[in-house]
Amino acid sequence: MNKNDETENGLSVLEIKNLHVKLADEDRAIINGLTLSVKAGEVHAIMGPNGSGKSTLSYVLAGREGYEVTGGSVSFKGEDLLEMAPDARAAKGVFLAFQYPIEIPGVATMQFLKVALNSQKKSRGEKELSTPDFMRLVKERAARLGIGQDMLKRAVNVGFSGGEKKRAEILQMAVLEPSLCILDETDSGLDIDALRVVADGVNALRSPKRAMIVITHYQRLLDCIVPDFVHVLSQGRIVKSGDRTLALELEEKGYAEFAKDAA
Amino acid sequence: MNIALTKTPAEAAFGLSLPHRRMEDWRWTDLRQLIDQPYPPRVSVKAARSEVERLIKSSPFRKVAATRMVFVNGHYDGPYSKLANGTAAPGIMADEPVLALNDAFATDGAKLTLSGSADTPVELLFITTGAEPRTIATRNVIAVQAGASATIIETHLGEGRYLANSVSEISLGEGARLDRVKVEHEGAQALHLAHAHVTLAKGAALRDFTLTSGARVNRQNGTYVFAGPGGDAKVSGAYLLAGKQHADSRLVVDHRAPHCTSRELFKCVMDDQARGIFQGKVIVRRHAQKTDGKQSSHALLLSETAEFDAKPELEIFADDVVCGHGATSGDLDHDHLFYLKSRGIPEAEAKSLLIAAFVGEAFDSIGHDGIRQALTDFAGSWLTGRRSKR
Repeated sequence: MNKNDETENGLSVLEIKNLHVKLADEDRAIINGLTLSVKAGEVHAIMGPNGSGKSTLSYVLAGREGYEVTGGSVSFKGEDLLEMAPDARAAKGVFLAFQYPIEIPGVATMQFLKVALNSQKKSRGEKELSTPDFMRLVKERAARLGIGQDMLKRAVNVGFSGGEKKRAEILQMAVLEPSLCILDETDSGLDIDALRVVADGVNALRSPKRAMIVITHYQRLLDCIVPDFVHVLSQGRIVKSGDRTLALELEEKGYAEFAKDAA
Repeated sequence: MNIALTKTPAEAAFGLSLPHRRMEDWRWTDLRQLIDQPYPPRVSVKAARSEVERLIKSSPFRKVAATRMVFVNGHYDGPYSKLANGTAAPGIMADEPVLALNDAFATDGAKLTLSGSADTPVELLFITTGAEPRTIATRNVIAVQAGASATIIETHLGEGRYLANSVSEISLGEGARLDRVKVEHEGAQALHLAHAHVTLAKGAALRDFTLTSGARVNRQNGTYVFAGPGGDAKVSGAYLLAGKQHADSRLVVDHRAPHCTSRELFKCVMDDQARGIFQGKVIVRRHAQKTDGKQSSHALLLSETAEFDAKPELEIFADDVVCGHGATSGDLDHDHLFYLKSRGIPEAEAKSLLIAAFVGEAFDSIGHDGIRQALTDFAGSWLTGRRSKR
């Protein structure tokens, strides 16, 4: 699948090898031998039907509790990702844009962003941002996403519409500047206008230094965020990889045909 | 109190009986056992200037512009105060143990009659300096006159082993407004037994907030009586408890007049083996139609051994009312925690943010920005202290 000459020599960001994951409190395997290699500058789309393991993969990469890795490995910039706590992964550059961003009453959005950014900087041994510098940074990034002061003054995701929540996730991404962005069904619950705003925000963050994994159900997101690679996930493993034309093929034929291959 | 029991050493010293667990209102706070040694009243203790100044400086409101009245070891201290004490006489008498103790032993307290509208808060600062175990009882009598508005802060600080007994009698005249903020941050070995009795005349509005964070044993009674129609009372509170601290709040909201609104909101954080109790009773008398009364208590238990007990009670004799209560208790939300950590915030800091947000909701009703900020900072330093212990 690595036939794209431009990124052939890109730095490897994420190496998932033969990953097996089950639910921690149930004997149910979700990921069954998944292998994926992502280099800097690449955008990979992962498509698959409900229950194929898409969200589990994003949670396992971000370090959520409730899953048990029973085999395989994940290395991020050459280090064992699975050994790191969620906050350490974030400081190293992993960012998960949630399918359902969490509302946190009582925690102000600006305070949250500042603590997050400065915690990451501290962990990397960088100088923390002063309040004025931080405010300037957020205002500038927020303006690009059409996020006003009013939204920034509220508590984290509280009272946000579906579209506002997704924009807020992209704002966090723009402020934290991760090297690996995992977008989990970022298109869910968005109308076509809101989708366009979010996709523009994501595209503005594409860079040769940054890799992205776009998890989605539908082809329409990939019209807006054009991937370099498309992978079909079925029953916890990648059953087919290709370029963006694979997404169109999927749209036409549905997932059923690929599910066969996984069995 | 009529059950014949052998007097405990503390009861013998007081010459009074103490409440015990067989009394319904005291089932969680057995003072016969909790007051485990005599705390003789009216012991005269001379405080060193340095002690007094150190304690004044430790008030969370030291940076809030306020008119201060300082009470040292139960006596008004003129030189440290900016407002002369008045002469109002106490009125309420009740067959209630905390009040009985105060009736017998109160030495002093703020006696204020407030008129006009005061922009500057008045801080009543009660300081107990370290000396032999003793009881310090104070009684405040505060009248906010018709149409007047005021903000009163009550701060309780101290060092050593002592029993602080504090009673506040507060009356709001017609259309009067009062914001009352109390911080109980007594010394770690202290006992704090308090009673607040508030009467609201027609159209009066009260916002009453209490932060409980000091003392090893706390019992705070609050009685709020709507004597005229159209009154509004918001009573809120927060607990920040750790170690083996014990805090019991017993509130009675008595709707004696129609068209009054009451809201109670308590947010209680208990760590280690701390124990929090919230007992709230709303009484709606027969003539108090169109009453709107709600109470809720929420507990955040930060350890397996912390405990919270809630006892909501409604006594409704009118038929056209809206009343309700709710109580929750649990630990921190794991989804919230993961979301914060996934953004690079270390676990301990993420927990602190969530705990601060939880108690912060109780500060929302406080109108004065400086006071709200001082409480937010106080909660912040409590959380920092908690983290550095680990």
